[in-house]
Amino acid sequence: MSVLDALVGQLGKLRAACLPAQVAGCQPAAGFQPAPRTSRFPQILGRACVILALLAGSAPAQVIPYQRPVDTAPQADSIGGGYKVPPVQKPLPRDYWLQVLDVVALAAAMGVSVWLVLKRRSRRWLTALTIGSLAYFGFYRQGCICPIGSLQNVVVALADPKYSIPMVVTATFVLPLVVALYFGRAFCGGVCALGAIQELVVLKPVQVPRRLDRALGLLKYVYLGLAILFAVKPALTRDFLICRFDPFVGFFRRTGAPYMLVLGGAFLVAGMFIGRPYCRYLCPYGGLLAWCTRLARRGVTITPNKELDCGLCAEACPYGAIEQMRAVRRNCLYCARCYASCPRERGVAS
Amino acid sequence: MNEDLTRRDFARGTVLAVLAGGAAFLVKKANGQIVWQVNAARCINSRLGDTGMEACNLCTTECVVALSAVRAVNEYSKCGRCNICPAYFNIASAVNELGQPSEKLCPRDAIARKPIGKVDPEDPANNFYEYIIDEEKCDGCGKCVMKCKEPLGLGSITLRVRYDRCVNCNYCSILKACPQNALVQLPIGQALST
Repeated sequence: MSVLDALVGQLGKLRAACLPAQVAGCQPAAGFQPAPRTSRFPQILGRACVILALLAGSAPAQVIPYQRPVDTAPQADSIGGGYKVPPVQKPLPRDYWLQVLDVVALAAAMGVSVWLVLKRRSRRWLTALTIGSLAYFGFYRQGCICPIGSLQNVVVALADPKYSIPMVVTATFVLPLVVALYFGRAFCGGVCALGAIQELVVLKPVQVPRRLDRALGLLKYVYLGLAILFAVKPALTRDFLICRFDPFVGFFRRTGAPYMLVLGGAFLVAGMFIGRPYCRYLCPYGGLLAWCTRLARRGVTITPNKELDCGLCAEACPYGAIEQMRAVRRNCLYCARCYASCPRERGVAS
Repeated sequence: MNEDLTRRDFARGTVLAVLAGGAAFLVKKANGQIVWQVNAARCINSRLGDTGMEACNLCTTECVVALSAVRAVNEYSKCGRCNICPAYFNIASAVNELGQPSEKLCPRDAIARKPIGKVDPEDPANNFYEYIIDEEKCDGCGKCVMKCKEPLGLGSITLRVRYDRCVNCNYCSILKACPQNALVQLPIGQALST
Protein backbone atom coordinates (compact mmCIF):
# COMPACT_ATOMS: atom_id res chain seq x y z
CA MET A 1 0.00 0.00 0.00
CA SER A 2 2.70 2.45 0.97
CA VAL A 3 4.46 2.05 -2.37
CA LEU A 4 1.23 2.85 -4.17
CA ASP A 5 0.61 5.87 -1.95
CA ALA A 6 4.07 7.13 -2.67
CA LEU A 7 3.48 6.75 -6.40
CA VAL A 8 0.20 8.63 -6.22
CA GLY A 9 1.92 11.35 -4.28
CA GLN A 10 4.68 11.53 -6.86
CA LEU A 11 2.10 11.84 -9.61
CA GLY A 12 0.37 14.68 -7.83
CA LYS A 13 3.63 16.55 -7.35
CA LEU A 14 4.56 15.90 -10.94
CA ARG A 15 1.32 17.45 -12.11
CA ALA A 16 1.90 20.53 -10.02
CA ALA A 17 5.45 20.75 -11.30
CA CYS A 18 4.43 20.50 -14.89
CA LEU A 19 1.98 23.38 -14.71
CA PRO A 20 3.54 25.88 -17.05
CA ALA A 21 4.28 29.40 -15.94
CA GLN A 22 1.31 30.55 -17.97
CA VAL A 23 -0.97 29.77 -15.05
CA ALA A 24 1.01 32.10 -12.86
CA GLY A 25 1.41 34.55 -15.71
CA CYS A 26 -2.29 34.92 -16.13
CA GLN A 27 -2.75 36.43 -12.70
CA PRO A 28 -3.46 40.06 -13.57
CA ALA A 29 -1.06 41.49 -10.97
CA ALA A 30 1.81 39.15 -11.73
CA GLY A 31 2.35 40.38 -15.26
CA PHE A 32 4.07 38.34 -17.89
CA GLN A 33 6.98 36.18 -16.80
CA PRO A 34 8.84 33.69 -18.96
CA ALA A 35 8.82 30.26 -17.44
CA PRO A 36 11.89 29.55 -15.27
CA ARG A 37 12.57 26.37 -17.13
CA THR A 38 16.17 25.68 -16.34
CA SER A 39 15.74 25.66 -12.57
CA ARG A 40 12.94 23.08 -12.72
CA PHE A 41 14.26 20.89 -15.38
CA PRO A 42 16.21 18.27 -13.40
CA GLN A 43 13.27 17.85 -11.02
CA ILE A 44 10.86 17.23 -13.87
CA LEU A 45 13.32 14.95 -15.57
CA GLY A 46 13.64 12.82 -12.50
CA ARG A 47 9.94 12.45 -12.07
CA ALA A 48 9.37 11.87 -15.74
CA CYS A 49 11.77 8.97 -15.46
CA VAL A 50 9.59 7.44 -12.76
CA ILE A 51 6.56 7.79 -14.99
CA LEU A 52 8.39 6.47 -18.01
CA ALA A 53 9.53 3.49 -16.01
CA LEU A 54 5.92 2.86 -15.05
CA LEU A 55 4.72 3.16 -18.62
CA ALA A 56 7.65 1.38 -20.18
CA GLY A 57 5.68 -1.76 -20.81
CA SER A 58 2.91 -0.10 -22.80
CA ALA A 59 4.01 3.20 -24.32
CA PRO A 60 6.66 4.01 -26.93
CA ALA A 61 9.85 5.24 -25.38
CA GLN A 62 9.72 8.82 -26.67
CA VAL A 63 6.21 9.64 -25.59
CA ILE A 64 5.86 12.30 -22.94
CA PRO A 65 2.98 12.02 -20.48
CA TYR A 66 1.58 15.45 -21.17
CA GLN A 67 -0.48 17.30 -18.61
CA ARG A 68 -3.36 19.64 -19.10
CA PRO A 69 -2.21 23.06 -17.86
CA VAL A 70 -5.64 24.34 -16.81
CA ASP A 71 -8.71 22.94 -15.11
CA THR A 72 -11.11 25.50 -16.52
CA ALA A 73 -11.03 27.23 -19.85
CA PRO A 74 -9.22 30.59 -19.71
CA GLN A 75 -11.48 33.42 -20.79
CA ALA A 76 -10.77 36.70 -22.55
CA ASP A 77 -9.84 38.55 -19.36
CA SER A 78 -7.35 35.93 -18.20
CA ILE A 79 -5.83 35.55 -21.66
CA GLY A 80 -5.30 39.31 -21.94
CA GLY A 81 -3.66 41.09 -24.83
CA GLY A 82 -6.99 42.39 -26.07
CA TYR A 83 -8.13 38.93 -27.04
CA LYS A 84 -11.80 38.45 -27.83
CA VAL A 85 -13.44 35.05 -27.90
CA PRO A 86 -14.50 34.58 -31.53
CA PRO A 87 -18.06 33.51 -32.32
CA VAL A 88 -18.54 29.80 -32.99
CA GLN A 89 -19.48 29.09 -36.58
CA LYS A 90 -23.06 27.92 -36.85
CA PRO A 91 -24.07 27.67 -40.49
CA LEU A 92 -27.80 28.22 -40.77
CA PRO A 93 -30.18 26.22 -42.94
CA ARG A 94 -31.69 27.71 -46.05
CA ASP A 95 -33.63 30.86 -45.16
CA TYR A 96 -37.29 30.33 -44.48
CA TRP A 97 -38.39 32.80 -47.12
CA LEU A 98 -36.36 30.85 -49.69
CA GLN A 99 -38.17 27.70 -48.67
CA VAL A 100 -41.46 29.51 -49.13
CA LEU A 101 -40.16 30.68 -52.49
CA ASP A 102 -39.50 27.04 -53.42
CA VAL A 103 -43.15 26.23 -52.77
CA VAL A 104 -44.17 29.27 -54.82
CA ALA A 105 -41.87 28.02 -57.60
CA LEU A 106 -43.56 24.63 -57.38
CA ALA A 107 -47.00 26.20 -57.69
CA ALA A 108 -45.86 28.47 -60.51
CA ALA A 109 -44.29 25.57 -62.42
CA MET A 110 -47.57 23.63 -62.15
CA GLY A 111 -49.46 26.67 -63.37
CA VAL A 112 -47.15 26.98 -66.36
CA SER A 113 -47.45 23.25 -67.00
CA VAL A 114 -51.27 23.47 -67.05
CA TRP A 115 -51.17 26.51 -69.33
CA LEU A 116 -48.66 24.99 -71.76
CA VAL A 117 -50.47 21.69 -72.03
CA LEU A 118 -54.13 22.72 -71.92
CA LYS A 119 -53.93 26.12 -73.63
CA ARG A 120 -50.74 26.38 -75.67
CA ARG A 121 -50.65 22.64 -76.42
CA SER A 122 -46.92 23.01 -76.92
CA ARG A 123 -44.60 20.07 -76.48
CA ARG A 124 -41.52 22.17 -77.16
CA TRP A 125 -42.14 24.64 -74.37
CA LEU A 126 -43.13 21.86 -72.03
CA THR A 127 -39.76 20.22 -72.67
CA ALA A 128 -38.12 23.52 -71.77
CA LEU A 129 -40.10 23.56 -68.51
CA THR A 130 -39.08 19.95 -67.87
CA ILE A 131 -35.40 20.80 -68.27
CA GLY A 132 -35.82 23.85 -66.04
CA SER A 133 -37.54 21.83 -63.32
CA LEU A 134 -34.93 19.10 -63.50
CA ALA A 135 -32.19 21.69 -63.13
CA TYR A 136 -33.84 23.54 -60.24
CA PHE A 137 -35.85 21.01 -58.25
CA GLY A 138 -33.56 18.15 -59.16
CA PHE A 139 -29.95 19.17 -59.38
CA TYR A 140 -29.99 22.51 -57.58
CA ARG A 141 -32.37 21.69 -54.74
CA GLN A 142 -31.12 18.08 -54.72
CA GLY A 143 -34.51 16.50 -55.25
CA CYS A 144 -35.79 17.68 -51.90
CA ILE A 145 -38.80 19.76 -52.89
CA CYS A 146 -40.52 16.48 -53.17
CA PRO A 147 -44.26 15.96 -52.76
CA ILE A 148 -43.61 12.23 -53.23
CA GLY A 149 -41.47 12.03 -50.13
CA SER A 150 -43.58 14.57 -48.22
CA LEU A 151 -46.35 12.00 -48.28
CA GLN A 152 -44.53 10.09 -45.55
CA ASN A 153 -43.95 13.19 -43.43
CA VAL A 154 -47.63 14.03 -43.66
CA VAL A 155 -48.58 10.51 -42.62
CA VAL A 156 -46.16 10.53 -39.69
CA ALA A 157 -47.28 14.00 -38.58
CA LEU A 158 -50.91 12.86 -38.67
CA ALA A 159 -50.17 9.67 -36.74
CA ASP A 160 -47.48 10.69 -34.24
CA PRO A 161 -48.44 13.43 -31.77
CA LYS A 162 -44.77 14.30 -31.17
CA TYR A 163 -43.86 14.74 -34.82
CA SER A 164 -44.58 17.95 -36.65
CA ILE A 165 -43.79 19.23 -40.10
CA PRO A 166 -43.19 22.80 -41.25
CA MET A 167 -45.93 24.51 -43.20
CA VAL A 168 -43.91 24.43 -46.41
CA VAL A 169 -43.95 20.62 -46.34
CA THR A 170 -47.73 20.56 -45.89
CA ALA A 171 -48.06 22.95 -48.82
CA THR A 172 -45.70 20.87 -50.94
CA PHE A 173 -47.87 17.83 -50.31
CA VAL A 174 -51.27 19.43 -50.82
CA LEU A 175 -50.68 21.71 -53.84
CA PRO A 176 -50.16 19.07 -56.56
CA LEU A 177 -53.21 17.16 -55.30
CA VAL A 178 -55.40 20.27 -55.51
CA VAL A 179 -54.12 20.96 -59.01
CA ALA A 180 -54.87 17.34 -59.91
CA LEU A 181 -58.45 17.73 -58.66
CA TYR A 182 -59.00 20.42 -61.28
CA PHE A 183 -56.56 19.82 -64.12
CA GLY A 184 -55.04 16.36 -63.76
CA ARG A 185 -51.44 15.36 -63.23
CA ALA A 186 -49.82 18.67 -64.14
CA PHE A 187 -47.23 18.03 -61.45
CA CYS A 188 -46.03 14.88 -63.23
CA GLY A 189 -45.48 16.70 -66.50
CA GLY A 190 -42.65 19.18 -66.47
CA VAL A 191 -42.49 19.81 -62.71
CA CYS A 192 -41.56 16.63 -60.84
CA ALA A 193 -37.78 16.19 -60.95
CA LEU A 194 -38.04 12.41 -60.79
CA GLY A 195 -40.44 12.47 -63.71
CA ALA A 196 -38.34 15.00 -65.61
CA ILE A 197 -35.16 12.93 -65.56
CA GLN A 198 -37.11 9.95 -66.96
CA GLU A 199 -39.01 12.11 -69.42
CA LEU A 200 -35.77 13.26 -70.99
CA VAL A 201 -34.38 9.76 -71.52
CA VAL A 202 -37.44 8.35 -73.32
CA LEU A 203 -35.77 7.19 -76.52
CA LYS A 204 -37.67 4.44 -78.25
CA PRO A 205 -40.68 3.62 -76.11
CA VAL A 206 -42.52 0.37 -76.66
CA GLN A 207 -46.22 0.04 -75.94
CA VAL A 208 -46.55 -2.11 -72.85
CA PRO A 209 -49.41 -4.63 -73.33
CA ARG A 210 -52.49 -3.12 -71.74
CA ARG A 211 -53.11 -5.91 -69.22
CA LEU A 212 -49.50 -6.02 -68.08
CA ASP A 213 -49.53 -2.24 -67.83
CA ARG A 214 -52.60 -2.35 -65.59
CA ALA A 215 -51.20 -5.13 -63.42
CA LEU A 216 -47.87 -3.34 -62.94
CA GLY A 217 -49.78 -0.13 -62.26
CA LEU A 218 -51.18 -1.74 -59.12
CA LEU A 219 -47.66 -2.00 -57.71
CA LYS A 220 -47.69 1.69 -56.84
CA TYR A 221 -50.61 1.18 -54.50
CA VAL A 222 -48.77 -1.67 -52.81
CA TYR A 223 -45.76 0.64 -52.47
CA LEU A 224 -48.01 3.39 -51.13
CA GLY A 225 -49.39 0.99 -48.52
CA LEU A 226 -45.92 -0.17 -47.52
CA ALA A 227 -44.62 3.40 -47.30
CA ILE A 228 -47.46 4.34 -44.96
CA LEU A 229 -47.04 1.16 -42.92
CA PHE A 230 -43.32 1.77 -42.35
CA ALA A 231 -43.82 5.47 -41.67
CA VAL A 232 -46.38 5.08 -38.87
CA LYS A 233 -44.12 2.80 -36.81
CA PRO A 234 -42.65 4.15 -33.55
CA ALA A 235 -39.95 6.79 -33.99
CA LEU A 236 -36.78 4.71 -33.96
CA THR A 237 -38.08 1.77 -35.96
CA ARG A 238 -39.80 3.89 -38.57
CA ASP A 239 -38.44 3.97 -42.06
CA PHE A 240 -39.00 6.29 -44.97
CA LEU A 241 -39.10 3.81 -47.81
CA ILE A 242 -39.85 6.33 -50.55
CA CYS A 243 -36.73 8.33 -49.74
CA ARG A 244 -34.60 5.28 -49.11
CA PHE A 245 -35.43 3.75 -52.47
CA ASP A 246 -35.67 7.00 -54.39
CA PRO A 247 -33.84 5.90 -57.53
CA PHE A 248 -32.72 9.31 -58.78
CA VAL A 249 -31.79 11.32 -55.71
CA GLY A 250 -28.28 9.87 -55.92
CA PHE A 251 -27.85 11.54 -59.32
CA PHE A 252 -29.28 14.80 -58.04
CA ARG A 253 -26.77 14.84 -55.20
CA ARG A 254 -23.94 13.43 -57.33
CA THR A 255 -23.30 10.94 -54.53
CA GLY A 256 -25.13 8.11 -52.88
CA ALA A 257 -25.14 4.52 -51.78
CA PRO A 258 -24.09 2.19 -54.63
CA TYR A 259 -27.45 0.38 -54.62
CA MET A 260 -29.20 3.72 -55.15
CA LEU A 261 -27.06 4.65 -58.12
CA VAL A 262 -27.40 1.18 -59.64
CA LEU A 263 -31.17 1.29 -59.13
CA GLY A 264 -31.33 4.75 -60.69
CA GLY A 265 -29.18 3.68 -63.62
CA ALA A 266 -31.39 0.63 -64.18
CA PHE A 267 -34.53 2.80 -64.17
CA LEU A 268 -32.97 5.21 -66.65
CA VAL A 269 -31.87 2.43 -69.02
CA ALA A 270 -35.29 0.77 -68.78
CA GLY A 271 -36.82 4.21 -69.20
CA MET A 272 -35.36 4.52 -72.68
CA PHE A 273 -37.70 1.78 -73.86
CA ILE A 274 -40.50 1.81 -71.30
CA GLY A 275 -41.75 5.35 -70.79
CA ARG A 276 -41.22 6.59 -67.22
CA PRO A 277 -41.33 3.23 -65.44
CA TYR A 278 -41.02 4.69 -61.93
CA CYS A 279 -43.90 7.11 -62.44
CA ARG A 280 -46.24 4.56 -63.94
CA TYR A 281 -45.56 1.53 -61.81
CA LEU A 282 -44.02 2.62 -58.53
CA CYS A 283 -44.60 6.25 -57.64
CA PRO A 284 -46.90 6.17 -54.59
CA TYR A 285 -47.76 9.84 -54.92
CA GLY A 286 -48.66 9.15 -58.54
CA GLY A 287 -51.26 6.77 -57.14
CA LEU A 288 -52.81 9.58 -55.10
CA LEU A 289 -52.65 11.94 -58.07
CA ALA A 290 -54.37 9.33 -60.24
CA TRP A 291 -57.25 9.12 -57.75
CA CYS A 292 -57.60 12.89 -57.61
CA THR A 293 -57.38 13.13 -61.38
CA ARG A 294 -60.50 10.98 -61.77
CA LEU A 295 -62.37 13.96 -60.35
CA ALA A 296 -60.59 16.55 -62.52
CA ARG A 297 -62.59 19.23 -64.25
CA ARG A 298 -60.29 19.40 -67.23
CA GLY A 299 -57.51 17.35 -68.71
CA VAL A 300 -55.60 16.62 -71.87
CA THR A 301 -58.01 16.20 -74.77
CA ILE A 302 -57.19 14.75 -78.14
CA THR A 303 -58.04 17.52 -80.60
CA PRO A 304 -61.71 17.87 -79.74
CA ASN A 305 -64.13 18.23 -82.66
CA LYS A 306 -61.55 17.68 -85.36
CA GLU A 307 -60.23 14.18 -85.06
CA LEU A 308 -58.82 12.16 -87.90
CA ASP A 309 -59.03 8.84 -86.09
CA CYS A 310 -55.57 8.12 -87.40
CA GLY A 311 -54.30 6.80 -84.08
CA LEU A 312 -50.94 8.56 -84.38
CA CYS A 313 -51.40 10.04 -80.95
CA ALA A 314 -51.98 6.64 -79.35
CA GLU A 315 -48.77 5.41 -80.93
CA ALA A 316 -46.91 8.51 -79.82
CA CYS A 317 -48.00 8.19 -76.20
CA PRO A 318 -45.21 6.34 -74.41
CA TYR A 319 -47.36 5.88 -71.33
CA GLY A 320 -50.31 3.97 -72.77
CA ALA A 321 -52.58 6.77 -71.68
CA ILE A 322 -54.65 6.95 -74.87
CA GLU A 323 -57.32 4.32 -75.11
CA GLN A 324 -59.81 4.24 -77.96
CA MET A 325 -58.61 7.64 -79.16
CA ARG A 326 -59.31 9.24 -75.80
CA ALA A 327 -56.82 10.39 -73.21
CA VAL A 328 -57.16 8.47 -69.98
CA ARG A 329 -56.67 11.28 -67.54
CA ARG A 330 -55.51 9.26 -64.58
CA ASN A 331 -52.65 7.80 -66.64
CA CYS A 332 -51.84 10.94 -68.59
CA LEU A 333 -48.50 12.39 -67.51
CA TYR A 334 -48.90 15.74 -69.26
CA CYS A 335 -46.04 15.28 -71.73
CA ALA A 336 -47.92 16.72 -74.73
CA ARG A 337 -46.41 14.18 -77.14
CA CYS A 338 -49.89 13.49 -78.54
CA TYR A 339 -50.16 17.09 -79.70
CA ALA A 340 -46.72 16.99 -81.28
CA SER A 341 -47.66 13.84 -83.19
CA CYS A 342 -50.99 15.14 -84.43
CA PRO A 343 -51.25 16.30 -88.06
CA ARG A 344 -54.15 18.55 -87.13
CA GLU A 345 -52.23 20.20 -84.31
CA ARG A 346 -49.27 20.82 -86.56
CA GLY A 347 -51.55 22.22 -89.21
CA VAL A 348 -50.34 19.68 -91.81
CA ALA A 349 -53.76 18.23 -92.42
CA SER A 350 -56.80 20.43 -92.39
CA MET B 1 -73.88 13.28 -68.00
CA ASN B 2 -75.08 16.20 -65.99
CA GLU B 3 -75.77 14.03 -62.97
CA ASP B 4 -72.33 12.47 -63.34
CA LEU B 5 -70.76 15.92 -63.34
CA THR B 6 -72.51 16.97 -60.17
CA ARG B 7 -71.52 13.74 -58.49
CA ARG B 8 -67.93 14.39 -59.52
CA ASP B 9 -68.16 17.94 -58.22
CA PHE B 10 -69.45 16.65 -54.91
CA ALA B 11 -66.64 14.11 -54.66
CA ARG B 12 -64.09 16.79 -55.53
CA GLY B 13 -65.53 19.04 -52.85
CA THR B 14 -65.26 16.22 -50.32
CA VAL B 15 -61.63 15.51 -51.19
CA LEU B 16 -60.81 19.23 -51.02
CA ALA B 17 -62.46 19.46 -47.60
CA VAL B 18 -60.46 16.47 -46.35
CA LEU B 19 -57.22 17.95 -47.71
CA ALA B 20 -58.00 21.34 -46.19
CA GLY B 21 -58.87 19.76 -42.83
CA GLY B 22 -55.68 17.70 -42.80
CA ALA B 23 -53.60 20.68 -43.84
CA ALA B 24 -55.18 22.84 -41.13
CA PHE B 25 -54.41 20.18 -38.52
CA LEU B 26 -50.78 19.95 -39.67
CA VAL B 27 -50.34 23.72 -39.84
CA LYS B 28 -51.74 24.09 -36.34
CA LYS B 29 -49.31 21.47 -35.13
CA ALA B 30 -46.37 22.95 -37.06
CA ASN B 31 -43.43 23.84 -34.84
CA GLY B 32 -41.16 25.65 -37.24
CA GLN B 33 -38.29 23.97 -38.92
CA ILE B 34 -37.15 20.68 -37.41
CA VAL B 35 -33.51 19.75 -37.98
CA TRP B 36 -31.07 17.04 -36.96
CA GLN B 37 -28.47 17.65 -34.30
CA VAL B 38 -25.88 15.50 -32.56
CA ASN B 39 -26.65 14.92 -28.92
CA ALA B 40 -23.16 15.36 -27.45
CA ALA B 41 -24.16 13.56 -24.25
CA ARG B 42 -24.82 10.40 -26.26
CA CYS B 43 -22.13 10.60 -28.94
CA ILE B 44 -19.34 8.11 -28.18
CA ASN B 45 -16.73 10.60 -29.36
CA SER B 46 -17.75 13.39 -27.02
CA ARG B 47 -19.21 11.77 -23.91
CA LEU B 48 -17.07 10.57 -20.98
CA GLY B 49 -13.29 10.64 -21.14
CA ASP B 50 -10.84 9.50 -23.76
CA THR B 51 -11.66 5.83 -24.09
CA GLY B 52 -8.41 5.00 -25.82
CA MET B 53 -10.43 3.45 -28.64
CA GLU B 54 -10.38 4.56 -32.22
CA ALA B 55 -12.84 7.41 -32.69
CA CYS B 56 -16.21 6.46 -34.20
CA ASN B 57 -16.30 7.83 -37.74
CA LEU B 58 -19.83 6.81 -38.77
CA CYS B 59 -20.77 10.48 -39.16
CA THR B 60 -18.22 10.69 -41.97
CA THR B 61 -19.07 7.48 -43.72
CA GLU B 62 -22.85 7.35 -43.38
CA CYS B 63 -23.94 10.87 -44.31
CA VAL B 64 -25.68 11.09 -47.67
CA VAL B 65 -23.93 14.27 -48.77
CA ALA B 66 -20.45 14.03 -50.26
CA LEU B 67 -18.49 15.71 -47.47
CA SER B 68 -20.43 14.84 -44.34
CA ALA B 69 -22.84 17.46 -42.99
CA VAL B 70 -21.48 16.66 -39.53
CA ARG B 71 -18.24 18.32 -38.56
CA ALA B 72 -16.24 19.05 -35.44
CA VAL B 73 -16.81 22.42 -33.82
CA ASN B 74 -14.57 23.98 -31.20
CA GLU B 75 -16.67 25.84 -28.66
CA TYR B 76 -14.03 28.52 -28.04
CA SER B 77 -15.32 29.59 -24.64
CA LYS B 78 -14.74 26.05 -23.32
CA CYS B 79 -11.32 25.55 -24.94
CA GLY B 80 -8.31 25.33 -22.64
CA ARG B 81 -6.04 26.92 -25.28
CA CYS B 82 -3.38 24.39 -24.28
CA ASN B 83 0.07 24.43 -25.81
CA ILE B 84 0.04 20.67 -26.23
CA CYS B 85 -3.50 20.25 -27.51
CA PRO B 86 -4.37 16.54 -27.65
CA ALA B 87 -6.77 17.21 -30.53
CA TYR B 88 -4.23 19.19 -32.55
CA PHE B 89 -1.19 17.01 -31.97
CA ASN B 90 -0.90 13.29 -32.13
CA ILE B 91 0.39 13.07 -28.58
CA ALA B 92 1.65 9.54 -29.12
CA SER B 93 4.13 10.74 -31.73
CA ALA B 94 7.80 11.43 -31.07
CA VAL B 95 8.79 14.76 -29.56
CA ASN B 96 10.51 17.23 -31.85
CA GLU B 97 13.13 19.86 -31.01
CA LEU B 98 10.44 22.32 -29.84
CA GLY B 99 9.28 19.90 -27.19
CA GLN B 100 6.09 19.27 -29.11
CA PRO B 101 4.72 16.07 -30.61
CA SER B 102 5.98 15.89 -34.17
CA GLU B 103 2.69 14.78 -35.80
CA LYS B 104 -0.71 16.37 -36.05
CA LEU B 105 -3.81 14.37 -35.26
CA CYS B 106 -6.19 15.56 -37.96
CA PRO B 107 -5.89 13.39 -41.08
CA ARG B 108 -7.19 16.27 -43.23
CA ASP B 109 -5.10 18.97 -41.54
CA ALA B 110 -8.28 20.90 -40.80
CA ILE B 111 -7.17 22.37 -37.48
CA ALA B 112 -5.05 25.50 -37.45
CA ARG B 113 -3.65 27.19 -34.39
CA LYS B 114 -2.30 30.59 -33.55
CA PRO B 115 -0.94 32.08 -30.33
CA ILE B 116 -3.31 34.53 -28.68
CA GLY B 117 -3.25 37.10 -25.90
CA LYS B 118 0.15 38.35 -24.80
CA VAL B 119 2.40 36.41 -27.11
CA ASP B 120 5.92 35.51 -26.11
CA PRO B 121 7.67 34.45 -29.32
CA GLU B 122 10.70 33.25 -27.36
CA ASP B 123 8.80 30.59 -25.51
CA PRO B 124 6.01 28.93 -27.48
CA ALA B 125 5.18 26.67 -24.55
CA ASN B 126 4.18 29.65 -22.51
CA ASN B 127 1.47 30.95 -24.82
CA PHE B 128 -2.22 30.39 -25.12
CA TYR B 129 -3.34 29.05 -28.49
CA GLU B 130 -6.56 29.33 -30.38
CA TYR B 131 -7.58 26.27 -32.36
CA ILE B 132 -9.68 26.94 -35.42
CA ILE B 133 -11.28 24.11 -37.36
CA ASP B 134 -11.58 24.74 -41.08
CA GLU B 135 -15.17 23.76 -41.81
CA GLU B 136 -14.45 23.21 -45.47
CA LYS B 137 -11.78 20.63 -44.68
CA CYS B 138 -13.36 18.85 -41.72
CA ASP B 139 -15.33 15.74 -42.56
CA GLY B 140 -16.46 14.93 -39.04
CA CYS B 141 -14.25 11.89 -38.46
CA GLY B 142 -14.34 12.58 -34.72
CA LYS B 143 -10.69 11.92 -33.94
CA CYS B 144 -10.15 15.32 -32.35
CA VAL B 145 -13.48 15.06 -30.53
CA MET B 146 -12.37 11.81 -28.95
CA LYS B 147 -9.09 13.32 -27.78
CA CYS B 148 -10.26 16.68 -26.44
CA LYS B 149 -11.58 15.16 -23.20
CA GLU B 150 -10.40 14.04 -19.82
CA PRO B 151 -7.62 13.60 -18.88
CA LEU B 152 -5.86 15.95 -21.31
CA GLY B 153 -8.65 18.03 -22.83
CA LEU B 154 -11.60 20.00 -21.57
CA GLY B 155 -14.12 18.61 -24.02
CA SER B 156 -14.59 21.79 -26.00
CA ILE B 157 -14.79 20.04 -29.38
CA THR B 158 -18.02 18.28 -30.26
CA LEU B 159 -19.62 17.03 -33.44
CA ARG B 160 -22.32 19.33 -34.80
CA VAL B 161 -24.54 19.30 -37.85
CA ARG B 162 -23.69 21.89 -40.43
CA TYR B 163 -27.04 23.15 -41.71
CA ASP B 164 -25.81 24.61 -44.96
CA ARG B 165 -24.80 21.07 -45.93
CA CYS B 166 -27.40 18.91 -44.21
CA VAL B 167 -30.23 18.05 -46.59
CA ASN B 168 -32.46 17.22 -43.62
CA CYS B 169 -33.33 13.66 -44.56
CA ASN B 170 -36.52 12.31 -43.07
CA TYR B 171 -34.54 9.66 -41.31
CA CYS B 172 -30.92 10.66 -40.85
CA SER B 173 -28.80 7.92 -42.38
CA ILE B 174 -26.14 8.51 -39.73
CA LEU B 175 -28.72 7.86 -37.03
CA LYS B 176 -29.57 4.61 -38.79
CA ALA B 177 -25.99 3.47 -38.22
CA CYS B 178 -25.29 5.23 -34.91
CA PRO B 179 -24.98 2.72 -32.05
CA GLN B 180 -25.93 5.41 -29.51
CA ASN B 181 -28.88 6.95 -31.37
CA ALA B 182 -27.02 10.19 -30.88
CA LEU B 183 -28.79 12.15 -33.61
CA VAL B 184 -31.99 13.84 -32.53
CA GLN B 185 -34.54 16.04 -34.25
CA LEU B 186 -34.99 19.46 -32.70
CA PRO B 187 -36.59 22.77 -33.64
CA ILE B 188 -33.93 24.88 -35.33
CA GLY B 189 -33.58 27.40 -32.48
CA GLN B 190 -32.92 24.67 -29.95
CA ALA B 191 -30.56 22.83 -32.29
CA LEU B 192 -28.38 25.92 -32.68
CA SER B 193 -28.29 26.77 -29.00
CA THR B 194 -27.47 23.34 -27.58
